[in-house]
Amino acid sequence: MSLLKEAQQLLDKLKTAHKKNDWPAGKAVLGQLRIKLIQLPAVPPNTGFSSPTAQQELLLARDVYEHAVLLALKSQDEAALESSFTQLKTFYADTRSLLPAAPQEWMFAGLDLLRLLVANRIAEFHTELELIPAEGMTVPHVVSAVQLEQWLMEGAYNKVLAAGKSLPPECSFAVEQLSATVREEIASCAEASYSSLKLADAQVLMMMTSKKELEQFAEQVQ
Amino acid sequence: MVQEQAAAAGANDAAPSAKDAEQQQPKPFSVKEGMQGIITLLEKAVKTKETRLLMGRLMRQTAMVRKHMTASDLVAFINTYLPMDSKSAGFLKGYVMQDGDTAPMEDDATAAGDAGDGADAGSAPGPSQLPEVELYMYLLLLVNLLDRKQFAQAREVADTAVGLLQQHNRRTLDAIGARIYFYYSWAYECTGALADVRSTLMAAHCTAGLRHDAVGQETLLNLLLRNYLAYNLYDQAEKFRSKAQKADTWRVPGQYCRYLYYLGTIRAIQLEYTEAKEVLQQASRKAPTCAHGFRVACNKWLILVRLLLGEVPERVEFSAPGMRTPLAPYFELTCAVRSGDLAQFRVVSEKFAAAFRADRTTNLITRLQYNVIRTGLRRINLAYSRISLKDVAEKLALPSAVDAEYICAKAIRDGGIDAVLDHAGGFLATRELTDLYSTNEPQAAFHERIAFCLNLHNEAVKAMRFEPDAHKRALAAANGGKEQMSVEEIARAIEEEEEDDM
Repeated sequence: MSLLKEAQQLLDKLKTAHKKNDWPAGKAVLGQLRIKLIQLPAVPPNTGFSSPTAQQELLLARDVYEHAVLLALKSQDEAALESSFTQLKTFYADTRSLLPAAPQEWMFAGLDLLRLLVANRIAEFHTELELIPAEGMTVPHVVSAVQLEQWLMEGAYNKVLAAGKSLPPECSFAVEQLSATVREEIASCAEASYSSLKLADAQVLMMMTSKKELEQFAEQVQ
Repeated sequence: MVQEQAAAAGANDAAPSAKDAEQQQPKPFSVKEGMQGIITLLEKAVKTKETRLLMGRLMRQTAMVRKHMTASDLVAFINTYLPMDSKSAGFLKGYVMQDGDTAPMEDDATAAGDAGDGADAGSAPGPSQLPEVELYMYLLLLVNLLDRKQFAQAREVADTAVGLLQQHNRRTLDAIGARIYFYYSWAYECTGALADVRSTLMAAHCTAGLRHDAVGQETLLNLLLRNYLAYNLYDQAEKFRSKAQKADTWRVPGQYCRYLYYLGTIRAIQLEYTEAKEVLQQASRKAPTCAHGFRVACNKWLILVRLLLGEVPERVEFSAPGMRTPLAPYFELTCAVRSGDLAQFRVVSEKFAAAFRADRTTNLITRLQYNVIRTGLRRINLAYSRISLKDVAEKLALPSAVDAEYICAKAIRDGGIDAVLDHAGGFLATRELTDLYSTNEPQAAFHERIAFCLNLHNEAVKAMRFEPDAHKRALAAANGGKEQMSVEEIARAIEEEEEDDM
C-alpha cells in the first residue's frame, strides 16, 4: 500500500505543477509517476492481477493520464499531446467496465476532436466522432468542436473567428492556430471571388482590428 | 418412404394420367432423405478429400433441410448417425430434449422405425466416426436453436462446438468450421455480448491463415470486421483490414460481398467517397438476388455517398421492388438535398432521426448540410444573374448576409458556382457562361466512361483465366492414363509377341 501512497504524493505534486503551468517540473514528476503505475498491480496492462485497492489504483491512474493531457495542452507540445491522448483514450476503453463512468471523459474527447480539427486531420476527426455516444454529444467541448467543423466546412469563417473567443479555457491552444488557418482560407476565397476589394473592406472581412495587421498578413502570405 | 413406393407404383402403371398426377403434385421434401443425402455426401467428400463439394452442395442441402427440421427429426439423426457412446451425442440430445416438442418415448419409436426404413432402403449410411459428421450435427443443432430464437442455449452449444473444432486440423472441416464460427458470432451478437468473442475470433483467424484455410480466413475476417463496426471502432477495423492476410481470390462470393460492404462503410466514414461509391456499387451488384436485407443496407449507404459526392440518385432506385419502405426516409432526404432547402433538410433529418440512428448514418447526414447549401447556391446562381447577399441569406435560411458572403466566397473558390462577389454593392453576380465544349469537361466525362468499360473488359478476361494449377492437373491425369495404358500395352504387346512367335 505504500506504493499507492507514494503514487498519491507524486500525483499531488503533479497537480500543483499543473496549476503553476510549470511544464519541465511536471514532466519530471510524470516520468516518476509512470514508473510507479507500471508497478501497481491493477492498472492496465497488468490486468489479471487482482488487488484489494484495485479501484483506487485505477482511479489514480486515470487522474494521472488526465493531468498528463492537461499539462501537454498547456505546454503546446505536439508529440507529448499525441501520446498522452492515445494513452488516455486506451485507458478509458480498457477500464470502461471496471470503473464508474467519468463525466470528464467526453470533455477530453471534445479536446481531442478540437486538436484533430486544428491539425486538419479531418478523416480522423470523423472516425473519433463516431465513437462518441449520444450522451457525450451534449458536452460543451464536443458541441463546440462539432460546430466548428461544420462552420469550417460550410465556409462561415466569421462564426469560427467569433467562436474562438467563447471557447472553454482548456481549448486556448486551438484558438491561435485556428485563427491563422481561417484567415488564410478567407484570403484564398477572397482572391477567387472578388474582382476588386478595398483595403478597408478586406480588413473587415478578415476581422482584423488594424490596418497594420492586414499589411503584415499580406506580406506573410506573399 | 411410403410416398416413394406410391410414386414407384404410379410409374409402374405407365399410365399417362399417373405421370400427370405426379407432375401436378411435386413430391414433398422428406427431411430423412435430405439427411441421408447429406451424410453420404459428407462421407464421400472426406474420402476423396474434395473440399469444394462440401462448400457448395452441402450448404445448399443444409439450407433445404433447415426449413423442415423439427426436434424429433434431430434426435432421430443423432441416434442414427453418431455412435451411441460418443460424448457429443449425449450433449446434443440433452439440448434437443430440453426444448423438444415430442416425448422421449416417441423418439425411440421413430428412431427404431427409421433404422428399419434405413435397412429397407439399403443405401442409408449408419453411425459414423468422422469428426465432420459430429461437427455437422453441432451445426444443425445450432441452426435449429437460432431459428427458434433460443439464443442463450445456442451460445452454449456454440462454445462447445468451437472448443471441439479447435482440436482438429482437417481441411475437410474448413467449410463446416467456417459456418460454425459464423453462427457462434451470431449467437453472441443476438445476446448482446459481441465484444467477448473478439479474441477467440482473432486467434482463429491467425490459425486459419497459418493453415491456409481460405474459407475460414475469409469468414473470420468478415466476422471480425462486423465485430469492430458494431461498436463503431472504425479506426481499429481499418487497421485490422489493412494488415490482415487476404487470399488473392475469394472462395465464397457471399463473403466477398460482405467484405466489400464493410470496406465501403469504413471508406465513407473516412471521407473517401469515390472509393466508397465504387466498392458499395460492386457489393450491391454481386449480391445474390435473395439477399434483400443486404441490398437495402448497401443502397442506403450508396445513396448517402452519392449525395455527399454531389450527384443525385435516380428516382427509379427508390421504387425498386422491396426497397420503397426501407428507403422512404432516404428518399425524402434526397428531395430536400436536391431542392437545396436547408429548412426542409433539417425538418426531414429530425423527423427520421430514430431511423437514421438505427442505421448508424446520423453523422453522415450531418455532413450533408454543406451539400444542401451548395445545391441551393447553384440554383440561385443559375436563376439570377445578379442577387443581393441579403436575399441569398433569406433564400438559403442562413442567419445573416455576412455569413452568406463568406459561404459564397468559399463556394466560388471550391468551384461549386461560377460567379463573382461585389463587396461594396453587396451582391453576387454570375459570370458569363462559357462554351462547355471548348473546355475539358467532355474529355473528362468520356475518360470516365471509357475507363469503366476497359475495367469491365479486364475483369471479364481475368475471370476467364484457368486456375493456375489446372494444366498440372490435366497433365497428371494424362500421365496417369498413359502409365496405366503403358502397362496394359506392354502386357498386350508381350502377348501379341508370344502369339506371333507361336
